[in-house]
Amino acid sequence: MAIATVTRPQRWDSPFGPDMTDADVESLLETPEIAAIDADAFPNHTPVSGILRNDTRIVEAKPGDIIVREGDYGNSAFLILDGALRVVLAPGLPANMLGRQSVRRKGFFEALAQLWRNKDVVEARDPERGLEAGLRLGGDPTSVRVFLQDVPVVLDQHQTARLETGALFGELAALGRVPRTATVFAEVDSRLLEIRWQGLREFRRFDEGWRRRIDENYRRNALSVHLTESPLFENLDTENLDEVAAHTLFETYGSFDWHVTYQKMRAKGAVDAEHEPVIAKQGDYPDGLLMIRAGFARVSVNLGKGLRTISYLGAGDMFGLADLYALWKGDEERCFTATLTAIGYVDIIRVPAQVLAEHVFPDIGEPMDAVAVELERPLEADSLIEWALEQRFINGTKAMLIDINLCVRCDDCVRACASTHNGNPRFTRQGRTFDHWMVANACMHCADPVCMIGCPTGAIHRSVDAGSVLINDDTCIGCGICASSCPYGNIRTVEINDVNGSQLRDPDNQRPILKATKCDLCSDQPGGPACVRACPHNALRRVDFQGEGLSDQWLV
Amino acid sequence: MAGVSATTLSLGRLLVPIVAAAVVVVFAGYTYQADLRLVDTSFVTGYVLLVMMIGLFLLRWRKRLSMVPLGRAAIWLAVHLIGGVLAVAAFWIHTGSLWPISVFEQLIALLFYFVSLSGIFGYVIQRVYPRRLTQTGREIIYERIPAAVGELRAVAESLVLECAEKTDSDTLCRYYLETFDWYFRAPRFFFSHATGGARGEFWARHHCGTVRRYLSTGELPYLEKLTELLDAKNVVDVHYAGQRMMKVWLWFHVPTAIGLLILSLWHFLVMNVYGS
Repeated sequence: MAIATVTRPQRWDSPFGPDMTDADVESLLETPEIAAIDADAFPNHTPVSGILRNDTRIVEAKPGDIIVREGDYGNSAFLILDGALRVVLAPGLPANMLGRQSVRRKGFFEALAQLWRNKDVVEARDPERGLEAGLRLGGDPTSVRVFLQDVPVVLDQHQTARLETGALFGELAALGRVPRTATVFAEVDSRLLEIRWQGLREFRRFDEGWRRRIDENYRRNALSVHLTESPLFENLDTENLDEVAAHTLFETYGSFDWHVTYQKMRAKGAVDAEHEPVIAKQGDYPDGLLMIRAGFARVSVNLGKGLRTISYLGAGDMFGLADLYALWKGDEERCFTATLTAIGYVDIIRVPAQVLAEHVFPDIGEPMDAVAVELERPLEADSLIEWALEQRFINGTKAMLIDINLCVRCDDCVRACASTHNGNPRFTRQGRTFDHWMVANACMHCADPVCMIGCPTGAIHRSVDAGSVLINDDTCIGCGICASSCPYGNIRTVEINDVNGSQLRDPDNQRPILKATKCDLCSDQPGGPACVRACPHNALRRVDFQGEGLSDQWLV
Repeated sequence: MAGVSATTLSLGRLLVPIVAAAVVVVFAGYTYQADLRLVDTSFVTGYVLLVMMIGLFLLRWRKRLSMVPLGRAAIWLAVHLIGGVLAVAAFWIHTGSLWPISVFEQLIALLFYFVSLSGIFGYVIQRVYPRRLTQTGREIIYERIPAAVGELRAVAESLVLECAEKTDSDTLCRYYLETFDWYFRAPRFFFSHATGGARGEFWARHHCGTVRRYLSTGELPYLEKLTELLDAKNVVDVHYAGQRMMKVWLWFHVPTAIGLLILSLWHFLVMNVYGS
């Protein structure tokens, strides 16, 4: 095989802000928030100046420019260097005002043209393209500013709060891997420092001041936003809501890098409720309502020598409401009727019982006792939930589910995937099975995508419109961190070739250049995922384990 | 809600065959009435049949154009199946008999029946085999079956060698060479597995039983492990037979369909040039 050479990509080969200069870095080092950082605490290979140079960029915003939009996924936080911004409080701005964008899909004829435009060479890349794009685009090439045309009207018609010089925002989405919770726009000409999450992670890791600040912001923002959005508190006025917030506790359980813990637990064969951090225990006195802000938690009850899993809770779900209500109604013997444990990393908001008694219970009817309802099911029916939790498939929002009773193993799905992805399929038609269902080794586009933790260049990211997890091929350095982080083995690193079929190699050591690849839900193809369309037997579909995932349809 | 959905689904499934049957009845009625009026309908029915055959052939192109949004392949297959049944009816209406008179037309009829029967065969096995494969409890990609067989053979060979070394007895080793070595060389008992038999499992059990009486206490655990490997090999064999059958039928169905289409187009040309 012929061999071509190309320089192996390194971290910071693709700076977040390609226009950042040494003068910019010097200037930033003098700003109070950066100057307060203890530079000696940073390791030699990751100095503060290096982070500023490569993991940040300066954003100039004009009045009305939208900096972040509610609902979007983003991997960066912002520090206001100069000027003032406005954050729109709930309810947010209408979608059309936000100028939402979508990934540009190919047209019919563009899709058809792939028939002859697709190269015969598998995983063919233009060696020049990656470098040019990396230098030119930095971390997030899709960020395009949208501006509000009439700021005074927006300020008049919507509740907003002012953010001034020195304020940090967006860290909630950047570190929590959750959608942006509010829209922020520039009120006046402003200058911002955008920090991609890798840089933010380093600041938080090595500087005590930034850690405290980020954590405090994180806790405060998560709490206020979640309370505001909960239907339980929707009838409360601002004063009462503030009082609820003042008494509410914010807690986290499990590990931020939960996939590492999970892999260790799997290796020990200890993936069950008994080995998970306990949030609330069956039989304990219910002292507060537990609201899940992010992550997943398992609800189980004691059965024999073990715990029977009856359901799992995700973001927005609550635990213990019926027990607390019964207690408030005078059932003094009432305890938690189930155990709640953390699956991976869970953010919990604990609203004390006395706060509910004062502000909520007088205005609501008796809530449904979900635990009692779940316990009416036969034990056998829980096996599906037990399996899904054990495999952590509950994380999947677009898992590839194959009914192997219908699948004729023709591999039309695999060929369709290859025909739309550089001649190389982005999944393997293998996976873990339950009864006649197989969850194939295709990216599930997780609610909590741990693959994004640790990517040194931010190549793996959430798409702006659909929230799918995508890899920017231009900025991927093939380090394989995402592939090893994925608990499901759904990301593969592949050796790449040039358009003539010559393998691309690092000239220094002749090792092949790698790129991470995975299912991208055919985000640029018309008609949705090609695998689903190509299945002639309706055996393959993409499911959201939080939605229809574990419904009765599974068992049909 | 579930009841309503199930009813709707049943009606939806019934609707298509009912409409298809109605189309056949109307088409047959039209040709019957035309025949009574001494109108030659062979050209009309021939054109309809040719168009249907071309339409049926398009499924193959749909599979190749998977990058183009041409609708779900499942819908194409459903149309293909219904169209295939309608084509048989159209063929009989066109020929007016089950078997035509001239040699060329008999050749076309032969191919037509072969394509139809192979299609029905393919439909049936695609309904039956996937469940059988599911019930093995393991999934194996067809292309990896040779590797899976090789891996099992390597483990089995090292197992019997270890048995010989640890127990100072070559009984199991010799028996392996006489019997199981053949079994682990390649997928076996294809016909039995393809027809739903369990000859492979029976064969393995029989031979394990035969050698068991000659083995010492120290050798028996090795036989147990070997039995597990034989069971695993049996699963691989079931997958090989099932998956191969689900691929091989197309090797007959598709080329024959191409031949049929070519002969039909020739028939169309000849009839249009000389038939009128």
